[in-house]
Parts: sequence; structure tokens; C-alpha cells
Amino acid sequence: MQRTTHRSLLPARPVLVALAAAVALTATSCAKSEDDAADGKKSTAAADAGQKVAEPKPGSKTCSIDAYGGRKIDLKDATVGFSQSEKEANPFRIAETQSIRDEAAERGVKLLTANAQSQFSKQISDVQDLLAKGADLLVIAPLNSDGWDPVLQAAAAKKVPIVTIDRKINATACKDYVSFIASDFVEQGRRAADQMIEATGGKGEVAILLGSAGNNVTTERTKGFKERVAEKAPGLKVVFEQTGDFTREKGQQVTEQLIQSKPGIKGIYAENDEMGLGAVAALKGAGKKAGDVKIVTVDGTRNAVQGVVDGWISGVIESNPRFGPLAFQTLDDFTQGKDVAQDIIIQDGAYDGDNAEQDLGKAY
Amino acid sequence: MAEAALKTVPLDKARALQWLQKYGVYAGVALLLVVNAVITPHFLSAENFRTQAVQVAPVIIVALGMALVIGTEGVDLSVGAVMALAASVTALYLGYGLVPALLVVALFAAGVGLANGALVALVGVQPIVATLALMVGGRGLALVLLPQLKDLRNPQLASLGAGDVLGIPYLILIAAVLALLVAFTVRRTTFGRQLLAIGDSRPAAQLAGLPVRRVLIVVYVVSALLAAVAGVLATARLQASDPTSLGNLMELSAITAVVVGGTPLTGGRVNIAGTVAGAVLIQLLTATLIKHDLPPSWTQIAQAVVIVAAVYAARGRGKR
Amino acid sequence: MAPPAEVLAVRGLSKTFPGVRALDDVDLTLHAGEVHALIGENGAGKSTLIKLLTGVYRPDAGDIVFQRRPVSFATPLEAQKAGISTIYQEVNLIPLLSVARNLFLGREPRNRFGLLDFARMHREAEETLRGYGVRVDVRRPLRSLGVGAQQMVALARAVASEARIVIMDEPTSSLEPREVETLFSVIRRLRDEGIAVVYVSHRLDELYAVCDTVTVLRDGRRVHHGRLADLDRLSLVSTMLGRELGEVRSEGLTKFTGDHHATDTRPVLEATDLTVPHQLHGVSVSIRPGEVVGLGGLLGSGRTETAKAISGALRLSSGRVVVAGAPLRGGSTPAAIRAGVSLLPEDRKSEGIVPGLSVRENISLAVLPRLSRFGLVSEARVDSLVNTFVERLRIKASSPQQKVGELSGGNQQKVLLARWLAMNPKVLLLDEPTRGIDVGAKAEVQKLVDELAADGLGVLLISSDLEELIEGSDRVVVLKDGAVVGELTGAEVTEDKLMRTIAGDAPARDAVEEAATDG
Repeated sequence: MQRTTHRSLLPARPVLVALAAAVALTATSCAKSEDDAADGKKSTAAADAGQKVAEPKPGSKTCSIDAYGGRKIDLKDATVGFSQSEKEANPFRIAETQSIRDEAAERGVKLLTANAQSQFSKQISDVQDLLAKGADLLVIAPLNSDGWDPVLQAAAAKKVPIVTIDRKINATACKDYVSFIASDFVEQGRRAADQMIEATGGKGEVAILLGSAGNNVTTERTKGFKERVAEKAPGLKVVFEQTGDFTREKGQQVTEQLIQSKPGIKGIYAENDEMGLGAVAALKGAGKKAGDVKIVTVDGTRNAVQGVVDGWISGVIESNPRFGPLAFQTLDDFTQGKDVAQDIIIQDGAYDGDNAEQDLGKAY
Repeated sequence: MAEAALKTVPLDKARALQWLQKYGVYAGVALLLVVNAVITPHFLSAENFRTQAVQVAPVIIVALGMALVIGTEGVDLSVGAVMALAASVTALYLGYGLVPALLVVALFAAGVGLANGALVALVGVQPIVATLALMVGGRGLALVLLPQLKDLRNPQLASLGAGDVLGIPYLILIAAVLALLVAFTVRRTTFGRQLLAIGDSRPAAQLAGLPVRRVLIVVYVVSALLAAVAGVLATARLQASDPTSLGNLMELSAITAVVVGGTPLTGGRVNIAGTVAGAVLIQLLTATLIKHDLPPSWTQIAQAVVIVAAVYAARGRGKR
Repeated sequence: MAPPAEVLAVRGLSKTFPGVRALDDVDLTLHAGEVHALIGENGAGKSTLIKLLTGVYRPDAGDIVFQRRPVSFATPLEAQKAGISTIYQEVNLIPLLSVARNLFLGREPRNRFGLLDFARMHREAEETLRGYGVRVDVRRPLRSLGVGAQQMVALARAVASEARIVIMDEPTSSLEPREVETLFSVIRRLRDEGIAVVYVSHRLDELYAVCDTVTVLRDGRRVHHGRLADLDRLSLVSTMLGRELGEVRSEGLTKFTGDHHATDTRPVLEATDLTVPHQLHGVSVSIRPGEVVGLGGLLGSGRTETAKAISGALRLSSGRVVVAGAPLRGGSTPAAIRAGVSLLPEDRKSEGIVPGLSVRENISLAVLPRLSRFGLVSEARVDSLVNTFVERLRIKASSPQQKVGELSGGNQQKVLLARWLAMNPKVLLLDEPTRGIDVGAKAEVQKLVDELAADGLGVLLISSDLEELIEGSDRVVVLKDGAVVGELTGAEVTEDKLMRTIAGDAPARDAVEEAATDG
């Protein structure tokens, strides 16, 4: 009796899928965004924006092939596997992956890549796949710090050296992996505080737009900022800390609430550029002028640096995503038998009113 | 004596629940307004109300479509993805000008709505499953079309996001007009009544000769179009197309607004005024906590409390 | 011999709903081993009384003394635990769970590890159900059973939970004659065990077959109580309806006049060779304007399917339907409705009414596009249409805005009739139009069908009530196993003839059993 008039249209499904694909294709082929012409030159000027290593602290540990185990190989004949953690949908990840690819091409190394799309279980199987496909060396941008044991065991069995970039894994350096290359997020926070103190004169109330909750980048950039403010400018009070989830929209919305409930706010520290740009949009919407509220952000994307040039942003602390040269240099040194540092900390740059215009090309 | 107590308590409770179902959301909004007027500095200002209204406008617009879908005993999880898709398509076609871009956006949204509606009405897939497919696929498509955030400088788009008429921002005007339109559709059109009948009893609607499939498909198309409007407005406000994060969790915000506003998930009833109030309630709650710089996790807890209260109040309504 | 113990004594029970005095100062006494008929028209207060007894509602006034103790149940579960079990008209079980699980729901046998003891559960379930004439694999989900068998499971469940009182609310509405017999033997067994039974039914035969005593309710008040044997059928009906005896007698038991003016014009409906795999095998029916054609047969014989196939709700694999000379596109309800074919479905609650919508919206549901312009509803036209039908069909509702789900069954049926009459149909397919509605409404519906036929409508009448079928139809087409096995016309339309045609050549039992398992 329930079998009324439900005609099965199952055969329609493949048709729908095909249709969707066709739509996507035609959509992109005849698309015309407003500044297609200007897009091309974006990635050209990146040549001299590579990472520099900060002065190693005295007594910092190193690692060599003898200590780690394994055999010497020539990087040119090797296959390098790269496991990216998130979709290349933000400037940082895009620049990071691009830098690895460019450097591999430059050195003529065969590169295998995988992207975990923000799923940790996928990243684990990605790396295992890379090993199975014959990667001799691994560069990993980990999504999590924990849970790497299965991969590390598989790599150790094959004596494959691992370099992790931008996030550390919880394991023993020079045993489970060779080196860790990253920015010092706490230091970025401190330097952002320096910029904020300079811009505000060290007095008044400031707000922090936090990144996503539970993210170590958020925690460390907050820690560094607060430490430095407490130490150098007790007159500067952090009166507002709300999350903007690292997105422009949330940054804008939270800032709108902020400037209404605390009209006297002097500065906003945004823990990434996108939230900072959201804050700029909110200030513009509220009829403020450039410089009324000092904004300091972290990352160094092109848009944010342009904001410095335009006067809306007081300073941008760089978090350099171009890991390619440094990662490959480390692997090269290591496989040739040289000592390499276990923790390689990048010397990040900064943009302020003085250099923003001329260094705009370095931004990613 | 004990018996007398037993007799009266449930009655009063039932009456209180009934009251809460009907007016709880408005009482909540009123309460938050009063509390904020007292404890929040600068709350009673035109700018503040404008900010809250502008921020909640996209949520309201999405929730309107969601209310219709829920009225048919369905749910549309793909609205957030459609917002993202609208954002990337806007960016891709803005070179032709705003109006052509919007037309293409409408085409895409209608396509997603058609696919949702076809899966639900023709193939008979559960709405939650059908729209889940497009929730994932829609955002995927959005990111294929535009892999990362892109700044937009179209002046027309900018004025859509920031401009106003007689001091009332376009966003608020558009949300208000759409709310009135949807409320009118539900109350006064054949389509609206057929929608409710289908939501209340689909077999009965079918045997009464109603165009069940057509109504369902149209409902999902309308939901997608409204989500696309919200996506375009949010993009205009941001002056950037951000398919990676725009509309994230919007489906949950919209469902919350609808449920808190007194529309039962069991279908057959749609409360548009309540839905608008539900969205406003959540907005005010969030704003209150942000303005007083309370930890963000509190916002989530507070929202959860409101949802539980709404579901508790609606408990009796699903029963017949 | 000492008189049997009093199990239940209800005194002065009253309950008021907004605008309605649903129950007014009602007394009821039950003794152990008594089978008590509770009758009255819908809206007389039967359901309210039952719900007060079982803790669904709380009384505004009055006392309930159960086994010599005053009680006030907060929930049906409490009442059930205390020993008052209820079997509702609709089966209240979980269709996806196995038969055995349903039977033991909430009191499953457990082994010493505290886990469900399935072996024991299945064994005991099979044993128990055999006593109710149900022989099925108890591991199968309940929904795979026929409705009758499901009802038996519900009954077995209610009885097995050590009830002192079992309330049966129209238990036979979905049972086959054979199953009704089984039910009666169960009731007699309960009586012998000293359990009191409250039996609610509209079928007079059943009441006289099984009940000892009777309470008649009318408009929320008790108008009669005593031994059933002291009250003959016509007196019972007149007490229930509150009408004079002579009036009822002169009108007969059904409201059909029996004389229609079926002219010898061309048929308004010609259904030829309707075939639906596994359900219909070449059924042909034709109806002329002004004619009432009865569709007879047992449950599962294909009556409902025939009606659904004609109305486009079932897809035909072959066969055709011609309405007023024009062939109908198959498998489309809207097309059939446009052509003038309207179906009043058997399952009124889930396929007929839209319970959450108002009387007004239910009546105007199908006709709405005709009362609209550019998709906008003309409220004035809807109002006038609704008022016309509420008046004409004497639909009792507090207002047109009242939800249909809150109305009595009879009024719900009238709302559905109004919905279709508003469409000016040419053919009306009525599938069990009077099932589960009270005597008064039944009579009104029957009278209405007569009037409609007199106005030239073609009517297809499906009814399990033989009396109704015989008195109401000009012709009766008899189905068996999805095919036509006979047709009775004119003087042939008698109960005797009909029974024999339904039974056919093969023994009727086979058909019954097959129907029960097919469900």
C-alpha cells in the first residue's frame, strides 16, 4: 500500500554528477573576475623572500647521520615525500607548498606530495603511502603534534630521515626524526607587542583577536604578546580577548562589537592577517580613519602589508611559510653526513611604515 | 493534600510550557535587551542596534529558507556551502559587473537547490543525507572555483554591503523584505499551505492530489537561493570572497534560529516571526558575551542552553 | 456463591476541556470477570473516560477506586503497572522490533548475566501467541505481520502483563472474522480468570456476542447502565442516539434508502483489466452516474488496491481507466483528481486528514488552486466554501480553525468528504467510509452517499460491514485474491449471496490465511 507513486529515478544520479562537473568546467572557462590581469605578477617577486635561520642558541643540539642511523645518499637521486596538513586554501599553506615544489624543481629532486585535508587519519595514511611509493626522505607539515608513532616506526624501519616543518611532533629528535624547522610563535607575539607599544606609545587599552581556540599558534602568539607588554609597557592594558577563528568575517564581527562597547580602544592585536583585515573592514564601516586604532597583525600576507602601506595597519610580523630552501638544505647537509641542528628556528621579518612599501614584493 | 498538589502542579507546568512555546523567544529577546540596557555600556545607541541587525541579517535570510524546509519535515545542511559557492561565483564573474555576477550566482544556487530537491522528492533520499552530500560537495566546488580568499573592489558590491537608504543599511532592508515575503508566502499562498500539508502528512498530501514533488523541489531551490543571497551580502560586507570560511556552521545557526523560534522539526508548521526572533536572540546573546569579554566557550554553552530550552518547550508539540 | 469482587469503582468523574464538558459526573463499576460494553457516539466521552482511567488525563472531579484503593495515575505506564492494560484501535507497538521483543518490551526475560535471554524469549513468545491463534516466526519484525496479527500481539502483550482490567478500544476494527473469533475466546478466557474487560466497539453483533453488562454514554453523561441482555439492539441504538425507538426502527439500521436512480447512460468510470504485480490481476469495474457499486471481499482481496489504482495512487502494469470517456494518465493522483476521481482512503488518520492543519485548511486543501489567483489564496472564497460544507455536512468543530486531529473520527471523515465534494467530482471512491466512526456520524455519511448518488455521482463503496455494503449498493462486485470472482445485481444483493460469493469455490479459510500473512 505504501508502494504509491515513487518512481525510482536512480539512473538520474550519474547524469546529475556529470551535469555538475560540466557546470564547474563551463563556469571556470568563461569566468571573468574583476582583476584577472593583475593576478599574474603576484608570485614573481618572491625570490629574495626565503627564510633565514635565526642565530642558534649556544649549546643547541645537532644531529648527524651517524647518530640517527641510515645511509648517505645524494639528494639529486633521491625521492622526497611531502605531506601537507591542510588544503592549500589560505596564503600560508599555498606559499608553503609552492615553496617546497619550487625548491624541488630547482634542485631537480623527484617530489611526491599528499594533502591530508585537515584529517589527521588521512595524514597518517598519506605518509605511509609516500613511504610505500618509495620516498627516501620525508618533509612533513604535521596537523597534530601527537599520534605519530605508527608513521615513525614505519619510517625507522626503512631508515627514512624526517624533517617536520612549522609544527613539532612529540617524539625524540635525532631518533624519531632529524630536525624541526619553524618560526618561533612566542617570539612573533613578543615582536607584535613591541610594534604595538611603539604605535600606541605604551599607554591605553588594547584588544586581542585570538585565533582558533585550542590551537598552539593561538596560545603561543598570545603568550608572547602578553609577556612583552607586561614587561615593557605596564601602561598598556589588554581589556578584550575574543576569538576571530583566524577568519576575516569573524574578525570583522568581533571588532564591530568591540568598538561599540569600548569606543576608547587604542589598539588591536590580531593573531593573523585575515582577522586584522576584518578589523580594518569593521573600522572603515564605523567611519574611523586610518590610524585611529592601531592594528598589529602576524603573518605577512600581501593584503596585510598593503594595509601597512595604506596606513590602516601599523605593523605586520612575518611568519615565513617558504620552507622549501631551508628544508632541502637541511636534508642535503644531513644526507651528505654533515651535522644539522635539531631545532631550526627561522628569523622572521617584519613590516612597518618604514619598509612596507619597498618590501611589498616579499609578502605572500 | 498531596493529591491536590499532584493535580495542580502538572497543569501549571503545562500552561507555563505552552506559554514558553509561544512567547519564550520574544521574552528572551526582551530580557536580553533590558539586561544589556542596564549592564552594557553604549548598548542603547543607534550604531549598536545597526551593528547587531547587520550582523544577524545573513543568518535571518538563511533561516527563512531553513524554516520552509523544516516545515516540510526536512532539513537543509547545504546552506553554508551555498553561501561559500555564492562567494566564489561572485568573485569569478564580477568582471562582467555586479548584476551579471548575481545572475550566475542565482543559477548556481538554483542548481544546488534542484539537486537537493530532486534527491529528496524524486529519488526519495532522506533530506539530511541528500543535503549533507551537497554540504560537502558544494564547498568543494566553491574551493575548486576559487581556492582562496580574494579581495573584491567592485564599488556597487561595496555599497550593497555598506550602503543604506535613509540610514537603514541595505542588508537590514533586504532581510526585512525577504522575511515579510516568506511570511506572506506561508500564510496567503497555495504554495505555503501545500508546503505545510506536505510537512504535516506527506501521504495525505499525496492522496489529496497536491503537487508534492514540485513543492518539495521549489522549497529546496528557495532555501538555496536565500542562502546565496546571504552569501552575496556577507561577501559584499566583507568586500572579499572567502569560500574557505564563509558560511561555516551556518546550517547550525539557521536550524537553531528556526527551532528556538518555535517551528517544530516534525514539520507542518512554520513560524517566521519566531524564526527572525530566534536569530536575533542568538545574536544578542553572542554580542552580550563578547561585549563583556567573556570566554568564547561561554557563548557556545549559552547557545546550547537556549537550544535545550527551546527543544524542551517544543517537546509536547510533536505529539498528536 | 459470593458475588465477584469489585475491581473498579468510579464515582462522579468529570473532565472539562476548553469549551467542552467532555465527561460529566460519570459512574462506572467493574467486577472481576465482567465483560463490560462501553458505548456511545464519538464525542460521547468514551475516550475521555478511558484516558482518565489510564492516567493520560487527570480528572477535574471524582474518584477512581481500584482494588479498594483510591488511585491517581500520573502516566499510562503507572496505570499499566498497577494492572490496567489498554489496547488501542491502532497498534501501539514498535514496527521494526521483532514480534517477540514487542511482546516482552519492558519486561524481557534476562539470563544470569543480565543480558536478554533471546532463546527463552522466543520460546515463550511462540507459546503465548499460539494461544491467540497467531503462528508466526517471532524473530521477524512486527511490521511484517498483517494488521490483525499485530493487534493480537498487542492483545497478548496487554494480557500477559498481569492486568486486572483490560480495556479494549475498538479491538476488532482491523481484524478478520476468524481473528475476531479468536479474540472472543481470549476475552472469555480472561473472564474465567477473573479479569474485568472494558469493551468499546461500534459493532453491535460483537457486543451482544461477548459482553455481560453495558454503560451507554451520551454527551459526556451516563444515560444507561445495566445488563446487556435486558436491552435489545434497537433500544441500545436509540439510547445511544437519544432518539425515539419508533424513529430508529422506521429508518432501519443503516441510512441507505436503497433506491438509486442508476440510469442506463454510459458509465462515468470504466476501469478495465487493472493489473498491479502481486496485488491486482485484471480487475474490471464500471460505474454509471448515480450508481453505487459495492466492492466486496475479504481483507487483502484487492479492494483497497483497486480503489488506489483507479485514483492513480498505484502504478498499473497494465489496464486502463476511462473517466467520462477520456482515458486517464496512469499513476498520477493529480491527473485522476483533475478528471474528477476522488478517493476517500481507508487509513483516514495517516493518508486522509492532515492532522495539524485546521478544518478550514483540510477542507480547502485539494480545491485551493481553484480558489486562488496567481498562487494567492482568496480567503473570502475559502471561507464561504468551508462554511457551506461545515453546514451541509454538519461538521462539529469548535471553529473552522480547530485542528482536524482534535476532531472525532466521524467529523474527520466528514471533513474529508467535504474536501472531495468541494472538487465537484464525477466519481467518488469510498474506502471504508464508516469504519471507526460513531453510529450517528455513520448514518449521516450513509445518507450523504445516497444523496450524492441521487445527484448523479458515481460511487464505489468499499466496506467490511456487509449490512452497509448490501443496503448501500446497487451492485456489488466481489473480489478475491486480486481478481473479480462475481457480481451481484438487483435482487441478488443479499447477505447470503454475498457471503457465498466471497467464499467462492475454494474454502474461505485459505483466503483468510493468505490475506493475514500478506498483510
